[in-house]
Amino acid sequence: MNRQRSPRGLSAAGIVIAVAVLSLLVTPSVRDGVALAILMMLTVTSALILLPSELRRARPVLTRAATSTMVVSVTLVATFFFSSTTDFNLATGAAMAVTLVGLSFLTGVSGQVSIGNGAFMGVGAFTMAIWSNHHATTPIAVTLLLSVVAGALVGFLLGLPATRLRGPYLAGMTLAFAVAFPAILTYFNSWTGGDGGLQLPNAANPPHWLNALFVHGTSSLTSSTLWLTDITIVAAGVAFFFMANLFSSRVGRAMRLVRDNEVAAELVGVNLNRTRVLAFVISSAYAALGGALWTFLNNSVTPATYSFALSIVILSVIVIGGIGTIPGALIGGLVYAYSTNVINWITNQTGLNPQGNFASQLNGIIFGGLLIVTMMLAPRGVAGVYYTLRRQRASKRGDVASPPKETYAEA
Amino acid sequence: MSDGSGQPILALEGVSVDFGGLRALHDISFGVATGEIVGLIGPNGAGKTTAFNVACGFVKPTAGAVHYPLIQKSNLRPNQLSRAGIARTLQGVGLFTHCTVLENVMAGGQTRPDGGFLNSFVASPRGIRAERRLRDDAMNVLARLGVADVASELPSSIPYGIAKKVSVARALMSEPRLLMLDEPASGLDEAELSEFAAMILDLRSSMGVLLVEHNMEFVMPLVERLVVLNFGEVIAEGTPGEVRNNDAVVAAYLGVAQ
Repeated sequence: MNRQRSPRGLSAAGIVIAVAVLSLLVTPSVRDGVALAILMMLTVTSALILLPSELRRARPVLTRAATSTMVVSVTLVATFFFSSTTDFNLATGAAMAVTLVGLSFLTGVSGQVSIGNGAFMGVGAFTMAIWSNHHATTPIAVTLLLSVVAGALVGFLLGLPATRLRGPYLAGMTLAFAVAFPAILTYFNSWTGGDGGLQLPNAANPPHWLNALFVHGTSSLTSSTLWLTDITIVAAGVAFFFMANLFSSRVGRAMRLVRDNEVAAELVGVNLNRTRVLAFVISSAYAALGGALWTFLNNSVTPATYSFALSIVILSVIVIGGIGTIPGALIGGLVYAYSTNVINWITNQTGLNPQGNFASQLNGIIFGGLLIVTMMLAPRGVAGVYYTLRRQRASKRGDVASPPKETYAEA
Repeated sequence: MSDGSGQPILALEGVSVDFGGLRALHDISFGVATGEIVGLIGPNGAGKTTAFNVACGFVKPTAGAVHYPLIQKSNLRPNQLSRAGIARTLQGVGLFTHCTVLENVMAGGQTRPDGGFLNSFVASPRGIRAERRLRDDAMNVLARLGVADVASELPSSIPYGIAKKVSVARALMSEPRLLMLDEPASGLDEAELSEFAAMILDLRSSMGVLLVEHNMEFVMPLVERLVVLNFGEVIAEGTPGEVRNNDAVVAAYLGVAQ
């Protein structure tokens, strides 16, 4: 690695190590985990070589674009070599990370707590499923965009109270939506399929323009669902790039100003209500995209998935990953995706009955335990630990000239 | 109303403000133009801060109107002030405590026309250029006030006098024609006071300054015109010399019954 280690490199290295440890622990095949770790290391190293620190400082957008492109392309290549279980885990993590990065923005940057993002996810998931059942020929990108629009609309309507409600009252309003959402879905059962949910009609075959890659030109390495994984990862990469732009642009700054000092924010020309509602719209649009990708990946959707419990889990994993940060969402997504594997591993090792009372509660025990440990040891999550370390290093060096573009992590 | 030579920027016309049954301001009228320094003074509770808040749109007048001649509008919301060519500092320092000094100053350019949501979201060349220009301009304003070396510090880690300058720097980012300073002298030592006075005099070449202040030694040599409030009414208006010899003002400050 580069002798003069850069903050960005360190952050990437941290993620790589976290992913590698998780993979080694729980992937069905240790080989996949090691391969993933090596590939991510290679990505980071090449990113460091290709993007010298002067360029990173002078051209932040180019750096963001290059980083997302590299991480996505390396992960895509990797999916061709991994087992289908690893692929599925990665894609689940990517879909969940899209939802999480939206919540990270809403709660971590704009400072408004939502306990309803699981339901916003459900809005996207059911838009995806319902539209696909009525218009099976619509290209996937269009269906995903429709889900995002639906999520944004619902987010706008539920965000309107944010102009009047603050703190726990606003959170209570989102909670009410999360609690009511499954019941709403069941009520409109002619659209949503009731408790049984919906299947996607065209799940079996990739779009024709992907045929060459995934059907004709395949080797024994390629599983039949690989194209689902890869589309999910690409969509997540694009979504992350755009969100990174928002974090460090004037829009993200407006959110932080409103959270920090309302009077001063108004005086510099920020419209408080517009800014608060916009944060809700962005967050729920991202949640909806995450839900739509998740549905797409699973080929089906049920109301029970988008229960109130999901909203709580989402909030827990983003706090564990690091709320108000972008890497935190990625870490949280992977923690979520691999939690099932951890539970399976625990039941296998301990000989617990997987259908038993205790094993079925393990999910809550693990997230709850992790959450408590995080709040006690690192209130700003895994990503927050890294930002703290970096600042300590910087102040020890007396390096105060570092650009403040990532101060959103301090909030 | 304003007898300054420049262009009028702000005019209060017959403004009254009631808080419940309490009359905070009664039929106040005064104006400020570019190129003049006007002081708003008066004993505690005279209504100075309320007058400032009405002028900025934080408080709605019960009667009368606040006019913004530059854009020919009246009674704006605080977030529309910068369009009317007005910027204001807050009592104390009023900085964003979780943002660096540079970001605080960049916040002053939040309403610039380019770099809206879409430009930010997709990072269009236009949005990137706007952000870079904003950063450069913020650094320039900090340098102009001589505080560029604290650009990447958090407000909590810089001295109070410097923080006050940063809050002025933030106000200057919108290139105002009128700068409203809320108690600029409070908490500053002798050396900082004279530095601040020099800075305000320097700014006058391009804008008007309206300041609320307690410290008479700071105000008197600085301003060209004073508006004196007592019990919510304008009791005197004129040059520092005129005001100093005004019986009503002397009575108000010394508490002598008329």
